[in-house]
Amino acid sequence: MTTTETAAATGAHNAELLLQVEGVEKSFPGVKALEDMRLDLRRGEVLGLVGENGAGKSTLMKLLTGIYTREAGDFWLDGQPLQVTSPKEAQEAGLAIIHQELNLVPHLTVAENIWLGREPVTGGFFTQPGAQVQKTRELLSQLGMHIDAKAPVSSLPVAKQQMVEIAKALSFSSTKVLIMDEPTAALNEAEVDQLHELIRRFITPQTGVVYISHRMAELKRIADRITVIRDGHYIDTMPMAETSLDQVISKMVGRSINTEARPEGVRDDRPIVLSVSDLSTKALLQDVAFDLHRGEVLGFAGLMGAGRTEVARAIVGADPVTSADVILNGNRVTISNPAQAAHHGIGYLSEDRKRMGLMLSLPVSHNIAVSSLSERFTRFGFLRNKAIIEAAEAARKLLSIKTPDVNQLVKYLSGGNQQKAIIARWLVKDCDILIFDEPTRGIDVGAKEEIYQLLNKLASQGKSIIMISSELPEILRMSHRVVVMADGRITGILSAAEATQETIMRLATHRDDAVTTKTEKAGI
Amino acid sequence: MRKISMGLVAFGVAASMSLAACSTGTPAASGGASGAAKPYIAIISKGFQHQFWQAVKKGAEQQAAKDGVEITFEGPASESEVENQMTMLTNALAKKPAALGFAALDSKAAAPVLQQFKDANIPVIAFDSGVDSDIPVTTAATDNKAAAAEAAKHMCTLIGSAGTVGVMVHDQTSRTGQDRRDGFIEGMKATCPDVKVLEPQYGKGDPNISADIASSIIEANKDLKGIFLANEGTAIGGIKAAKEKGVDGKLVLIGFDSGSDQIAAINDGTMAGAITQNPVGIGEQVVANAVKALKGETLPKVVDTGYYWYDKTNINEAKIQAVLYK
Amino acid sequence: MSTKTNPPAAVLAVAEKTGGWRERVQQLFALAGLVLIFIVFSIARPQIFPSWSNVTAILFSATVVGLLALGVTLVIITSGIDLSVGTGMTLTAVMAATFIVNWHIPIWLGVIMTLLFGALIGLINGVNVAVFGLPPFIATLAMMLVAQGLALVISNAAPIYFDPENFSAYLWLSTGKLVPGLPNAVLVFALAAVVAFILLNKTLLGRYDISIGSNEEATALSGINTKKWTMIIYAVAGLFTGLAGVMISARLGSAQPSTGAGYELQAIAAVVIGGTSLSGGKGTIVGTVIGALIIAVINNGLQIMSVRQEWQNVILGLVILVVVFIDQFRARQAATT
Repeated sequence: MTTTETAAATGAHNAELLLQVEGVEKSFPGVKALEDMRLDLRRGEVLGLVGENGAGKSTLMKLLTGIYTREAGDFWLDGQPLQVTSPKEAQEAGLAIIHQELNLVPHLTVAENIWLGREPVTGGFFTQPGAQVQKTRELLSQLGMHIDAKAPVSSLPVAKQQMVEIAKALSFSSTKVLIMDEPTAALNEAEVDQLHELIRRFITPQTGVVYISHRMAELKRIADRITVIRDGHYIDTMPMAETSLDQVISKMVGRSINTEARPEGVRDDRPIVLSVSDLSTKALLQDVAFDLHRGEVLGFAGLMGAGRTEVARAIVGADPVTSADVILNGNRVTISNPAQAAHHGIGYLSEDRKRMGLMLSLPVSHNIAVSSLSERFTRFGFLRNKAIIEAAEAARKLLSIKTPDVNQLVKYLSGGNQQKAIIARWLVKDCDILIFDEPTRGIDVGAKEEIYQLLNKLASQGKSIIMISSELPEILRMSHRVVVMADGRITGILSAAEATQETIMRLATHRDDAVTTKTEKAGI
Repeated sequence: MRKISMGLVAFGVAASMSLAACSTGTPAASGGASGAAKPYIAIISKGFQHQFWQAVKKGAEQQAAKDGVEITFEGPASESEVENQMTMLTNALAKKPAALGFAALDSKAAAPVLQQFKDANIPVIAFDSGVDSDIPVTTAATDNKAAAAEAAKHMCTLIGSAGTVGVMVHDQTSRTGQDRRDGFIEGMKATCPDVKVLEPQYGKGDPNISADIASSIIEANKDLKGIFLANEGTAIGGIKAAKEKGVDGKLVLIGFDSGSDQIAAINDGTMAGAITQNPVGIGEQVVANAVKALKGETLPKVVDTGYYWYDKTNINEAKIQAVLYK
Repeated sequence: MSTKTNPPAAVLAVAEKTGGWRERVQQLFALAGLVLIFIVFSIARPQIFPSWSNVTAILFSATVVGLLALGVTLVIITSGIDLSVGTGMTLTAVMAATFIVNWHIPIWLGVIMTLLFGALIGLINGVNVAVFGLPPFIATLAMMLVAQGLALVISNAAPIYFDPENFSAYLWLSTGKLVPGLPNAVLVFALAAVVAFILLNKTLLGRYDISIGSNEEATALSGINTKKWTMIIYAVAGLFTGLAGVMISARLGSAQPSTGAGYELQAIAAVVIGGTSLSGGKGTIVGTVIGALIIAVINNGLQIMSVRQEWQNVILGLVILVVVFIDQFRARQAATT
């Protein structure tokens, strides 16, 4: 009953629209996740959808695909009321969603993944791998993707896995609406271009795309209109061409953010704390060499697969090296596991927080104290729980980690606050060198700004920071100097003054054809 | 989720592995299976680790030395490993023995392989418990039912024909378990029908588990007069429980087979008495009858290897000492 | 301090020492189950079941599986598994008899050597898991078979007896009554549970145990030597296995080399009933003790009621299913709110 009333109140069905969301509500115990949510997708357009984390984007996606049930409101798809109870039904109705977390079976091949559950069979039982591979090849070449249909998905880089996911969605001929949730989170600039090319190919007067992203620059390039939502409410929809990024951001967060900021406190007279040279690994890295100064933010830029994460992991001993010369505060050291790195005051914050950073099922306090338990929080081998809580509490205040209590499980924190908890871990450990791998990945705009300020503050206090990032604006904004990598080597080191999007991209795409690279090239 | 289902698999596989366990073939006489002159007899028993089977093995080895034949003696780790025993049987066939001695855990399951032995003209001598088939040329076994009935008779005499009696058996599926259980219960009914016999309980022949079960029986039945303990492992548990509960000497425990604990318990009065089979005799009869079969002699359908009641009064008699093992 | 999505502050304050409030609820749930089962049996056989002598019998019967379960809890929290504890216990029992009976080593020293031998078994498991990267299931499955075989080889496939005249002190470890009316085995189990509780809740070992189980890779990248600690945890589990070996052989007055297989599943069942997650990162000693007691109470109660034994296994199996279902149901509820 509520459903019809709300629909009547907020506006009737418009048959011109491809996908229409009207007056949708959804609440969880204690939280109103969506209230009076609207969305209009026109035929043949790419609609950007932006909102901070927690604005209600994921909830809306889950309602559309029938994972959740709405409490009020209506959906129309291509003029028909949309009533689905599972992602499979949504897919059959013509609505495909590419989730941020990929839903592929790692051990199956590309072809097997694409046709999973729809395998061509004879006699209702026997699969036809040949036909399946053939169909996959046709599909992939139509889409302009150069991916081996028979390769196991686990052997592909993340970017290609994402392409497979998209190919899978498009393999349904019924697909009219494609919803992409942060499709470029793991992609480099070149790959993003490829993805956009793919989207343009998909768009016809009968189809449409909802493109959810945090990356404003991309939206500017791909989206026709942009819809902003905030705290479960619809805010506004604007034509992309007439809208500035600052306008969008201020609608999202309710305040203006200066996106043109530049690094603070750039100086070049500081002592070297870490000097790495002759760093090579069997798989990728070749003769990597650089210096890190005290109080510096050293940016690491490069395309996906260039070897930036590998450098970080090699330095902290997480992966084996074939050669390495590491001089720490003037002393040559050998680091063969992360425990030794931590002992030397080097902390690594992984790009993949959930998998390699957090103990999700444990309290915030443990996640903060874990690295320092043995030296700071034990007496005669017994834990000093009170001291742990006190230190965690102090860190919570210092970094303004938003949690009601440090005993709260870390999984209930937002991405930005989880990141702060990991930063707190290394501050409690009193590390002098911090290696941040994609420090703002999956973090909303407001929280990003806080992380940036925190990094600046740490640097000004004398901590030395290596910051790996795939977002050029982030690199430009934060880095005192920029190390650019390509194919496992360093192709250039730029000062803050030299660094521009163009100079970095030039170095990042630099290829030395004389050398056979050891790994698959980035790009598609 | 993945890890959870992995864990459940762990349950399943571990359960089946615990059944598969190990087995040990021991060539008894020197030289193994290849002996040129000496005939080779393969013996597959129900078990290997229990003292009872060790005694059977001893008897078989003695007779083999006497008759100048070569034997191997093997059996699965526990008496629930039917499948494992089948593998041993198939392997034995491949070694082409002159004769086979076989104590079936499950005679129906063994029938097809035994047929192959028959087809290959290899005489089969069954032992310990019968094989439900006409393939074995003879069966050397204890009449377990009669032996358990004998135990019931003694139980009646000792408790005075009234009260409650518990029955503890090693398992509910093996032939010896069933025969001893049924023989005892029927014997009680026949000799002293007024005694209440409790629902049989099964302790897998594990002394620790059997002790817990016996404790429960003692606890639950205030008018309990006695417990029949149908094999050695069960008996050890029963003895421990009686001591733990402080009813040793008051409760009439009747055991089966021998072993250090039972012998000691009979000597110190914890156990009233026990039935012993003649395991050494069984082993001897298997080999002796196999040799006879090889010579073409006609054999009786059943060779009863006998059983004895023993208690404090006769335990030191030579006849008893000869069949007891420690 | 607390908000709508969080448990009341009072609960948090209590939970502070023993882990998450969720675990507390789980324990209360298991404890309620234990009490409920106990009451049902007490109503069914009021004269016998709740009597002191029967209660001590229940406690006694819970000790061996309970001791194994303590060690297994620590291993399962790492998201591992230990299938070797059953036959490992048998092997350590045989070693205890070998040391004390055959080699005439003084009892106190023999017991210590047995415990260390148990730790060695666990350490080998730990090395195979942490250093050689074998899945815990495989590593401990192999050890289960090796231990079973070695127990037979070392004992010559015959029980080794602790002759009561010379080794009464050894038998006293289990069946003696330091506290009148209570077998020492129960005291040993209680003491071991307290030690395990302290290890898990008050020491680095416990904290790293939970951390590794929650996310091994993240723990390693946090600068913890996870390999070393995994080995230590398996070795400690082996220590408990050794203690179980001492207690079972002290109770029986003999080392019985042909037993042991199957005890590991009972121990794992006790751990699972106690609310420890097989996927790791979550588990309590109190829960495991309750789990071991639930199994012992069910076995004892059904035997007291003379239920046919076939049904006893069915009922125990159903109890495990119900417990795990409820646990998963609650976890799912927690995840969607």
